[in-house]
This record gives sequence, C-alpha cells and structure tokens, in this order.
Amino acid sequence: MSRFSRICGLAFAAAICLVLVAQLAGAALMVDKKLPAYKATSGVSGNVKSVGSDTLNNLMTLWAEGFRRSYPDVKIEIEGKGSSTAPPALIAGTSNFGPMSRAMKSKEMDAFEKKFGYKPGRIRVAVDALAVFTNKDNPLKCLSLPQVDAIFSKTRKGGMKTDIATWGEVGLKGVWASKPISVYGRNSASGTYGYFKKVALYKGDYKDSVKEQPGSSAVVQGVASDKFALGYSGIGYKTADVIALPISKRTGKKCYSPTAKNAYAGNYPIARFLYIYVNKNPNQPLDPLRAQFVKYIFSKEGQQAVIKAGFFPVNAAIAKLDLGALGLGLGSN
Amino acid sequence: MKAKEPKKRKEKRETEIPSVDEDSGNHKEPPPETAEVAETEKSPPGRTGLRASIDFKARGEPFVWIMGGALALGVLMIIGFLALVLWNGIVTFYPGPVEVVTLKNGKKIAGEPFRSESFRPSEDQLKGVDPESRRAIREADGFASRTLYRIGNFDVYNEDFKWAVAHQVAKTETPPGIFFVERREWGPFIGFIKTLTLDGRSVPGEKVSLGTLYAAHDEAVARREAVRSIEVDEIGAINYYIEEDRLALRRTELDYGKKSAEYHTEKEKFERQTKERRAGFTVLKKRIAAINEEDEKYKITLTEIGGREKQLRLSELVRIYPANDLSFFGKMGVYFSRWGEFLTDDPREANTEGGVLPAIFGTVMMTLLMVVFVAPFGVVTALYLREYAKQGTLVSIVRICVNNLAGVPSIVYGVFGLGFFAYTIGIRIDQLFYPEKLPNPTYGTGGLLWASLTLALLTVPVVIVATEEALAAVPRSMREGSLACGASKWQTIRNIVLPQAMPGIMTGLILAMARGAGEVAPLMLVGVVKLAPELPFDSFFPFLHPERSFMHLGFHIYDVGFQSRNSEAGKPMVFVTTLLLIAIIAFMNAFAIMIRNRLRRKFVEGQF
Repeated sequence: MSRFSRICGLAFAAAICLVLVAQLAGAALMVDKKLPAYKATSGVSGNVKSVGSDTLNNLMTLWAEGFRRSYPDVKIEIEGKGSSTAPPALIAGTSNFGPMSRAMKSKEMDAFEKKFGYKPGRIRVAVDALAVFTNKDNPLKCLSLPQVDAIFSKTRKGGMKTDIATWGEVGLKGVWASKPISVYGRNSASGTYGYFKKVALYKGDYKDSVKEQPGSSAVVQGVASDKFALGYSGIGYKTADVIALPISKRTGKKCYSPTAKNAYAGNYPIARFLYIYVNKNPNQPLDPLRAQFVKYIFSKEGQQAVIKAGFFPVNAAIAKLDLGALGLGLGSN
Repeated sequence: MKAKEPKKRKEKRETEIPSVDEDSGNHKEPPPETAEVAETEKSPPGRTGLRASIDFKARGEPFVWIMGGALALGVLMIIGFLALVLWNGIVTFYPGPVEVVTLKNGKKIAGEPFRSESFRPSEDQLKGVDPESRRAIREADGFASRTLYRIGNFDVYNEDFKWAVAHQVAKTETPPGIFFVERREWGPFIGFIKTLTLDGRSVPGEKVSLGTLYAAHDEAVARREAVRSIEVDEIGAINYYIEEDRLALRRTELDYGKKSAEYHTEKEKFERQTKERRAGFTVLKKRIAAINEEDEKYKITLTEIGGREKQLRLSELVRIYPANDLSFFGKMGVYFSRWGEFLTDDPREANTEGGVLPAIFGTVMMTLLMVVFVAPFGVVTALYLREYAKQGTLVSIVRICVNNLAGVPSIVYGVFGLGFFAYTIGIRIDQLFYPEKLPNPTYGTGGLLWASLTLALLTVPVVIVATEEALAAVPRSMREGSLACGASKWQTIRNIVLPQAMPGIMTGLILAMARGAGEVAPLMLVGVVKLAPELPFDSFFPFLHPERSFMHLGFHIYDVGFQSRNSEAGKPMVFVTTLLLIAIIAFMNAFAIMIRNRLRRKFVEGQF
C-alpha cells in the first residue's frame, strides 16, 4: 500500500494513476469535467414547447425531467415527429425549441428569415454516431461507405460499379452468401433519413426496397428480428440483439467502430451533431426560461442526460461557443 | 281471387331463381335466408326425406357452418389476443431471480434472465469453443442456446442487456444477498450492498438487516416526497402567480401602451408583488436545503458484480429487494408495489419507467369530453333527420354523407382538427382573448379540447346512425297514442320516443366511446404529446385546462414501443400499457352498459 502511494507520488506516475483510475471507472462515457454543474435561479416559469426530431425525443424528455427538478412549475411539452416538423413549428411560433438531427436546409433557413428578419439561433447539443446495424448473429466485420451506398442506394454515387443485394457480395461465405440483404431505414420526415442520404448515399436516392420504419428504435427492432437485415439508426438505440458495424471511409481503409472516441476524432465517417434551433432575435436577450434551459443542456447534468439517452456528450469548448452565440456564458447566470 | 293469382306466381318465380342457380352448379352463393325460403318452397312437408339429404346445399347447411366457423375464428382470435396481452401484461412486474453467470473466460454477468432462445452458431462463433461443447452442439443438430440477461447498471456498463451463450457459461448460480435496486435515474442497479450510511454512521453490508434498510428507505422516500411537495405545490404556486402577474402587466401594456400611466402603476405593482413573492422562494429553498442536508446523511454504497462501486442517496432509490431471498409473499409485495407505482406515478426516464398516471388521466378525460360533445350533437342531428326533416332526396344525400364520414381515414380528421380547430379557430381565440401570451400559443396549438372535438367529429356518424335506428324502432302506435292524447310533436318525442330509444342511443355512444378511446393517429396531430406531466386538471382556477396538451395511453404504447432508446426494456411495458388501455375501455363500456340496462329496466317497468 505504502509503496503504491509512493509510486503514485512521483510526478510521471501520477499521470498513469489518473489513467488507471479512469480505466477503473470503466468504459463508461464521461462528461467533460470543465462543464459546470447546473445552478438554479429563481423566477423561471412558464411553458416550453419543443417540436422536432424524434431522434432527440428521448433526450429532450430527459432534459425536461431534469430541468423540472429545478423548476417544478415550468411546463414542458415535447413532440417528436421528425426533424422536418421543427422549422414550420418555429416559424409558426407554435414551438420554442426545434430539435433537429440535421442542420436546417437553406430553404428552411430562408423561410424563417423571411418571417422574422433574422436567422434562427443554433446550438449543437450532442454528438450522434449513426450506426449501421446487423443482427447479432451476422459475422460481418466491416463495411466501407461506398459498400453501404451500394446496399442502400439505387444511384450508387459512392462509386461502386455494381449493386449489392446479397450478403455474399460483401464477403460473407456459407449460408450467408446467397441470402439477400433485407434493408431497413427511416421514413422520409426523419432527419436521420436526410443525413444518411447526404453522407452515406452521397446525396443519391434510396432503393425502393428499403423498409421505412416510423422510429429509430423500430429500425433496431426490425434488424433484431430479421437475421439477414441491415439497417441504420442512431447508436443510442443499440440493443443486445444487434451489432453496430465498424465503417471505413473508403474500401480497403481501416474500419472504425461507432464509439465516442472515433466520433470525436472524425474517424467514424457517419457521426453528426444534433442541434436545437431557437428563435433568437439578435437584438434582444433570450428570455430567462429558454436561456436557463439552454444553460441546463450545457451543464454537467444536461450532458449526463446525453449519455443516458445513448448519445455522446459535447465538450466545454463547443458549449462555450454555442452559448456565446446566443449571448450566454458558460456556468454564470 | 283472380287478381291475386299473377302476384302469387310472380312470388314463386322469384323464390325459385336461387334454387335454379344451385341446381345448375352455379357458384354464386345466394344469401342464406333466400336459400332457406327456397327449400321450404321446393319441398313441402311430406316430400322432404330423401330429397333433403341429397340436396343438403339447399338447406343452407354449408352456410351455417361457414358462419359458425367464422364466428369461432373471430372469437378465437380475440381470445388469443387478450390472452397474449393479459399474460405478458400480468407477468411483467413479477420479480425474477438474479443469476450470476460465470463465463469460461472468467468474466461474470449478474442479471435477471429475460428470455432464452436457441440458435445455430456459425463456424466463426464456434471458434475457440472447447471440443466437448462442440460435440454437444453437433448432437443438437447444430443448435445452441443463449439467454438474455437484464444486467442493469447502465451508468457503469453503457448497456442494459447482455446475451450469455450456453456453451460459454462455466456456471450459473443464484447467490443470496444480491439486490435488485430500482433507481429514479439510470434504470436498475444489480449488485451487493457494501455499506449503508444512516445518519452519518456506516454499517457494513453484511450487518444490515432488511428491516432497518426498509425503514430507512421509507423515511428517505418521505423526505423526497416532502421536497417534491414543496417544489410542486408551494414553489409552483408562487411561480404560477408571478407568471399571472407578468401576463397582467403585458396585458396592460397591450391595452394602454408602454408610456401610459396605467402601465406605470401596474408595473410598480408588479415589481413590488414579484419581490414579495420571490422572498417566499428563499424561505422555501431554505426548507428544501435543510431536508436535502438531512438526506445527504443517508446513503447506500453498492457494488456491482465486477467490484465497481456506486454511492447513492437512499432517497434516489425507488425500490430495493434481495432478489434471491424473497419468499412468495415478498415477491407478491414487490409485484403489487410495482403495479401501484405504474398506476399512480408520473413517468420517468423518457417514459420507459415510472407510471402512466398522466396518460390514464388524459385518456379518460379526453374520452369523457368527447362524449359530452358527441352525444347531444349526434342525437339532435338524428332526431331532426328522422322526426322533422321531410324524407326526400336531400335527406338521403345527407344520410349517405354521414355514413361515408364513418369511412374517412382517421388521420384525415387529425389533419382537419389541426388545420381548422387549432390553426384557424384556436389562433383567433388567442388573438382575441390571450394576446398577452403570444407568441406562445394557448389555444392555437393542439390540446385536450381540440382533440376531443376532433374525435367527436370522428365518432359522430356512429351515434347518428345508431340513434336513427333506435328512433325508427319506436312503434308507430306509441307515437300515435301520444298524439291522440293531445300531446304536441315535441312532447311526444321528449316523453315517449326518446325514453324508448334511449337504450339504442346508449349503444351508439358506447360504440363511439370504444372507437374514440382506442384512436391514436389523429390525436398525434391535435394535442397528444410524449411528455406532459401536468394534468389538464389542477388546483388553479379554472381547474380544468382544456387548452393543455395531454398524454394518451395509445400514444404511450406507440412511443414506448417504437421510440424508446431501450426497446428491449420497453417491450414488456408495451404489454402492460396495452392491458391497461383495454381494461380502461372495458371499464368505461361496462359502466355505460350498466346505465343502459338500468334504462331498459326502467322503461319495461314504466310500460306496464
């Protein structure tokens, strides 16, 4: 024991001890320590309504639950029917927050600007790795992005010469070789659909055979119950019945698993930010209710909720930047 | 005599047509009644015998069988569905044992066995498997089995479930002293108690008696409830009044302008009042801080199977029980306490845990409100159509339209409700009556009122048709008797026709209610949300808040089933919620049927 502490006392060993401690804490994700704990203020009440992404639905609910612990009388309503429902609701003024799993398109941005005369405020609240799931019994080890494109898309803008329809065409042997790939995806109102189309399909078109599911978790359930299935959904929805495939940028390159580390480093090719849009007039400060909610999101508790929802938290630098854009500071009230 | 002759012949010819069809082997099936008439026409008494046994088709036997079979199939499907829901719903809350699985590579898994399946491992998966297990798998035609364990501890492992493949398992045991801990956050924790800290003093886990633990936990829960009550009731009230004052100020600003004298006096008043009210906060916050400080002294340290520790305040636990040491009664205790939580608590953790009270409340409230709208509207429409309107082309067209309305997809009603009620009427209402709240919509968005009205529209055809039938069934003699006694038409309708038709009208309402309570698609557009923990009914004037969005059991099922992160853990909850929804609809229907039967009895008594 004493020897252990003496070793730890040494400067260089201290670093190793820290790493050890971190490893003892397990593979569990950690929130950036620079993010402050949330401090409640008084006089925050009223209604908040959020309309938008269903990927962010659970996370919004968790934030709402946490926020209401500090402000029990704040009323928070959450509707999540897809990212495309966020801009119209913001423009119509029926919602205060527009969570989206993709960035606003320029057309949506213009429509907003036309109505209010300024652009909506945007914050990056979490990092999501879009995972390509296979059934747990699938022996496949890796897919490249062009292969994914050739499986999901009929236009194959990723550069593959031929269409991929069976598991044999991605290198599986035995009984798998002749089995067709059963493809699952999201419905077109979803931001996940849009993002996947933009990045994994190189803006191409989906095949007609993609089974469009009404929710992120429905995709995972479909893949879980269909042995020959392949589907895309947020990594947060992973269950024990599916495998999140490592993906490489180009055929023959190294494959990276959808982990927090790979997503942050940019190695995993289909990771994205999740956004919340707010109607923020650049000439006026944000009202206290929305300001506090945003601050809660970028607090320690808020980012822990991100982990709980199965996404990866953002770091203090991003938090500071995005809070600054809304005229708020990190931590202070 | 002569005049009747041709008519009779014609009748005979008509009834004979189907039988001719059958004899020629035509497969066009006549309706059963016609077939029966044909049979009696063709084989008068005395001549039956042989003929009937040969031509059994003509007796309608196959149709009786088809009908009976269809009924049996229908009943079977309903029973099968109910049994599935009932079984899955009922067993969900029963606490299972916690098994500790030691894998051959030395790793340990502790969890509740969730489900097992057999599968055919591929060559890849069999790599590194010892020869003995390989042989066993070969003998079983290449099948191996695996069990899914609910391992909990999501904050430590980042996963909630884990598969254990049978041939990788060295041993499975159910050790005593392992606890299943349900927490308010992060889902369940499975592990051992390391220490229990009561009032600052630590007791090692082995020496903790269950009685002390439960007593301390009850106290901690009481503290949590106390904090919650201060937060919701007292701080909530202060917040509510501050918001009211702010709105009043905004209203003055809108009415008189920012520079007016009225605005200034109002503003001063507002600032003074708000200051006073805020002072209330500090007092309450101090009380909460005191309770929390006390709460900090009661902690529990748990260790998971891998040895990692987790310290929690006792008040953060929902339930803790030694999974493998429970007697049957202990298990039943946990079972019923889980049901109690489910029925009376707010949802937690993005709806996957906790209760569904707001959803129950929303469903019942919306259905009742819908009946309030649909009953008078439907009955009055049917009364006019049947009793007053001149029966002609126009009325026929109206009737056809009403019947067709019943076939319009429900989502279309949802779109209509959103576009017409919320975005047209609602926004006008907001502009007229709630300008101070804008841009936050009050009625200009989906809510309980609009949802009930939309569903009322959806179900009104059912009520109209049922009421019309009921009115038509009232014997003409009774109306005429009443009219002959000198009653006016309205008096006749009110005192004779309506009471007589009441049971039929009630049947229509029951059908409408069942349809309305089970409908989800249109509601998603007009006011049902994932999370709305405020009931549309509270202690602030005017008590009922029909503009609020609400939760609904049907939507809850969809949400937990298809949208929740943890779909594995969500599945059993889907069954429980379905069971509850069916139970509520059955209960409401039973209630309505009871009223109908009472009406019938009353009417029978009144007749004689």
